[in-house]
Order: sequence, then C-alpha cells, then structure tokens
Amino acid sequence: MSSASITALRVKGATKQFGGLKVFEGISFEVAPGGVMGVIGPNGAGKTTLINVMCGMLKPTSGRILIGDQDITGKPLHAVSRLGVARSFQQTNTFRSVSVDENLFRAQRFGGSHGGLDLGLSELLEEFGLIRHLHEPSEKLPYGLQKMLGLIMVLAARPRFLLLDEPAAGLERRERTQVDRFVEHARSRLGCGILIVEHDMELVRRLCPYILVLEAGRLLAQGSPADVLSRKEVIDAYLGASEE
Amino acid sequence: MTPNRHRDFKLDICSVVLILPLLVAPLLTESPLLDSLSFQIAIGVSATLAVYIMLRMGLLSFTVPAFMAFGAYAAAMLAKGGTTNLLLLMAISFLVPALIAVPLGAMVLRLKGIYFIFITFVFNEILQLIIFETPTLTGGSDGISGVPPATLFSLDLAGRAGIVLVPVVVCAAAMLCTLLVTQRFRAEFTSIEENETLAESLGVAIWKYRTIGFVASAGVAGLAGFALANMLATAHPSSFASWSVINFIAYAFIGGRGTMLGVVAGSALLIVMNSIFSSYAQLSAGMNGVLLLVVMIAAPGGLVGTCVRLYGAAKTRVNGALTAHVQEERA
Repeated sequence: MSSASITALRVKGATKQFGGLKVFEGISFEVAPGGVMGVIGPNGAGKTTLINVMCGMLKPTSGRILIGDQDITGKPLHAVSRLGVARSFQQTNTFRSVSVDENLFRAQRFGGSHGGLDLGLSELLEEFGLIRHLHEPSEKLPYGLQKMLGLIMVLAARPRFLLLDEPAAGLERRERTQVDRFVEHARSRLGCGILIVEHDMELVRRLCPYILVLEAGRLLAQGSPADVLSRKEVIDAYLGASEE
Repeated sequence: MTPNRHRDFKLDICSVVLILPLLVAPLLTESPLLDSLSFQIAIGVSATLAVYIMLRMGLLSFTVPAFMAFGAYAAAMLAKGGTTNLLLLMAISFLVPALIAVPLGAMVLRLKGIYFIFITFVFNEILQLIIFETPTLTGGSDGISGVPPATLFSLDLAGRAGIVLVPVVVCAAAMLCTLLVTQRFRAEFTSIEENETLAESLGVAIWKYRTIGFVASAGVAGLAGFALANMLATAHPSSFASWSVINFIAYAFIGGRGTMLGVVAGSALLIVMNSIFSSYAQLSAGMNGVLLLVVMIAAPGGLVGTCVRLYGAAKTRVNGALTAHVQEERA
C-alpha cells in the first residue's frame, strides 16, 4: 500500500439503495490528500447521494468508506466532519441571521479551531470581497458571496478532505474563477484532498486532473478529462444529452 | 466576541441585574402586594427560563411542570425527613429532575416539532397519573403538606423575609445556571435552532447539545418547583398541572425568546398585569392567549426583540446620516 493511499479517502464497493430504487452500485475510488477529483454525470446519476454517503448523511446499503485504514462507514455526519471530511452544499448554506464573522467563528469553533482567522482565510475573504461585509448578516449578501462564504466556512472547519457539491451552481461566469482560487487554496495551503461534483465542464477540465463519470448509478468511465470526455459512451450518456 | 454575541451577553447580564430590585423592594416596604409580586415573578422567571433554554435550540418543551414537580417533591421529601438546609434543598431539587432528564432526553430528543411538543405534554399527564397512583410516596391527591420552611445554617427562613428571600435566591441560581449554559453553548444552541444540517456538517453533535440543554432546563424547572413548594409549604399535584406551562411559554414569547431579558420582562409584565386585573382572574388565560397572538403577529421577536431591532435600525439610520454629513463637509 502506498503512503498516499494510507491517508486517502477511500470508497470501496459502495452501494446505496432506497427500497427498490438503486441509486448507485459497487462504486470504488479514492481521493488522495492534495488531489482533486471530479465527479460528473447527468441529473439523477447519484452524484449528490454519493457525497451524502461519503460524509455520513446517509448510510451506504453496502460497501465501506475509509480514511486510510480507518473505517468511517455509518458514522454520523458530525463525527465524519470531526474526522476531517467536510462537505459543502449545492444551495447557499450559512447561518443566515448572523454576521459573516459570526458564521466564520462558528465554523472554526465547531471544527475544533479557536485561533481566529488563520489558514489564510483572510486572504480568501479579501479576494472574494467578503472582508467589507464582515459585520453584515449573511442573508443580506448577494447569492455569489453567500455561496463563497459557505465554502470558506467549510474550510474554516480545518478539513482533510473536501466534498464540494456543485460549488459553481448559480454563480455568474466571472464568479466561477473564485471556485478555482478556493480549490487551489484548499489544496496547496491545507493539503486537502478534494472531490468536486459539478456540471460546469470548463471548471472540471481546469481543476480536475482525474474524473469519474456516473451514469444511472454505475461508474461509466474514469481517467483524465481529455481522455474520458472524448469517449463515445460518455458523450452519448452525458455531454451529448446536455447539448440537445 | 462579535457585536451580536456582545449585545446578547449584555442583555442577559442586564436581566440578572434587573432581578436585584425583586430582592430589595419587598424588604424595604411593608406591602403584602409587593411580597406577592416578588415571589410570583421570581418563580415565574425561574420556570420560564426552563422553557427559554429549550427555545434557544428551537424546541418548545412542555415538560416544565413535570420537572417542577420532581424538584418540588424531592425537596419536600427531604425537608419532611429533617433536612431543611436551603442549599441542600436547592441542590436536590436541581439534581433529581436533571438526572431524570438524561434517560428521558435519550428517548424524546430525537423528535422535533409537534411530535416533541406532544410527547413532552403527554409526559406531564403521565407524571400526574403516577402522583395520584402512589399516595404512600407522594401523598396522592393530597400532596405532601406541612413541608417545613428552608433554613440557612442558623437562619430560619420561615418569616416574611424568608418567604420573599427563598424564591429570589432560587431565581438568582436559575438565572446563573441559564446564563452559564446558554452563553457557554450559545453558538451551538443558536446554530441548531437556525440550521441544524449545516451545524452538524461542521462538526456539532446535535444530540449532545440537546441533552445538555434538556438536563439544564430540567434542573432549572426543578428549582422553580422547590421555590413554589417552599412558599406554599406543600407539594401538591395541582401546582404542576400540564396547562400551567402555557403561561411560561406566553412569558417567553411576549417578552422575547432571544434573550434572558425577554424572559424577565415578559414574566414581570404578565404577572403584574394579572395582578392588576385580578378581579378578572378567570380571564387571565384568555388575556395571555390574546397577547400571545398579537405579539406573534405584530412583533415575533417579543418586546425585547422588537426594541433591539428598532434600536438597531435607528442606529443604522443615524450612522448613515452622520457618514453622509461627514462626506458633505469634506466635499
């Protein structure tokens, strides 16, 4: 076993079923520390359910989730988060009635960090234009800023692995580069392993050296974006469908 | 400390300071009315704080009368057994309901919304039934009467001063406990109330904080129950009827459920109003109901919450005007 896989976030033969409905079956892959992996697929392919299973919001029907050799299968959401696997949400998700700095304080506190704005978060706040809104309630922020605040809060909890559920959804094109900056910061400054579920192919190509394609609950293809996105079955199942 | 936390802390401290006149006023006068208002408000605030702790996590708990009964009966049994030390009676009246809250919490705290309300309400009814069916232990429908008054070392607290003093000391202890719990876990409690999924995804063990709040709420309710039993010299099931929690909920919502100051303001206001309109006592529940409706519709933050919001809005307007004025001057 390589040293990277010892601390990698590993999904081994995961299956999730709701009654008779099989969302995905027998999925296996691993996210290396400092690595970025993309997960793409048409709507209903099971991408968000995969994140829900990995982060502890849902229990897999079978299969295991591990950090290195530590089995975290079935552990509750808060325990998985404390073990270093944090997730973001498709929609904006902050404590809406309180200020930006209170949101950040809570994220740090809940993640077990009490040392003020470290981790280079103040750089991100400055770059994303959040620093001048520190004392405003987060619900008063524009959508894009709320979305970026949600991402920074996840980072403030000091994760080892980030599961980003459509981080660019709802953002304007010019705002999407902030997601690039965020991912780069998390990877280079914190050494986070990152899994990105995303529909924006340009963003996936830019950020992810390795991607998985899910289709109807099965792993259709995996590899580099250039390789995977040129395969006929992927184009038929996903890109072709979205272009119609 | 961010401005919101700083403001709420100041309001909570302010509520503790406001309780002092309760302690002083009756002792400086010979007014039986003030005596009566003092211990009614002290007991009302203590019981409402038990509701308030749970409301901080977005849970409306109806168990307060039941936990008051546990505290009252535990203290009454101890006092009848010859232990009348105030501090010991307070300790037992806090600990017994708090310990009962641990297994009960494990069963009911996974529920939310109307299911939680329903099960906590039913718990009161079950306890009433148990009290009536265990006359050898609890005195049944007669309750435990002739409870000796509390003492503090060599000081006998049986007289008028004692009757006023004990509820106020109990109220101060309840406020201190509530302040400690709600300030220490403020971030967790309010996050659970506002966005439980986000809080959990960031690492908050929801069950743990709900249990802490439930146990503290039970203990505080137990203290209120003891104060009531000590004042009446009786622990009687009718003192802890299920419907009495409606009053405490009304106090919290009308005063403002966001701060302890709201609890104090709501309790004091409604108890004084009930006293003023005592000749229409049978209408008090209806009056509380109407007030509750009006406040929920017109001022969801309650009296204190609305004042804080209006103050914040006025402050923003003034700051805006000042900034504009400075910019004009510079130009």
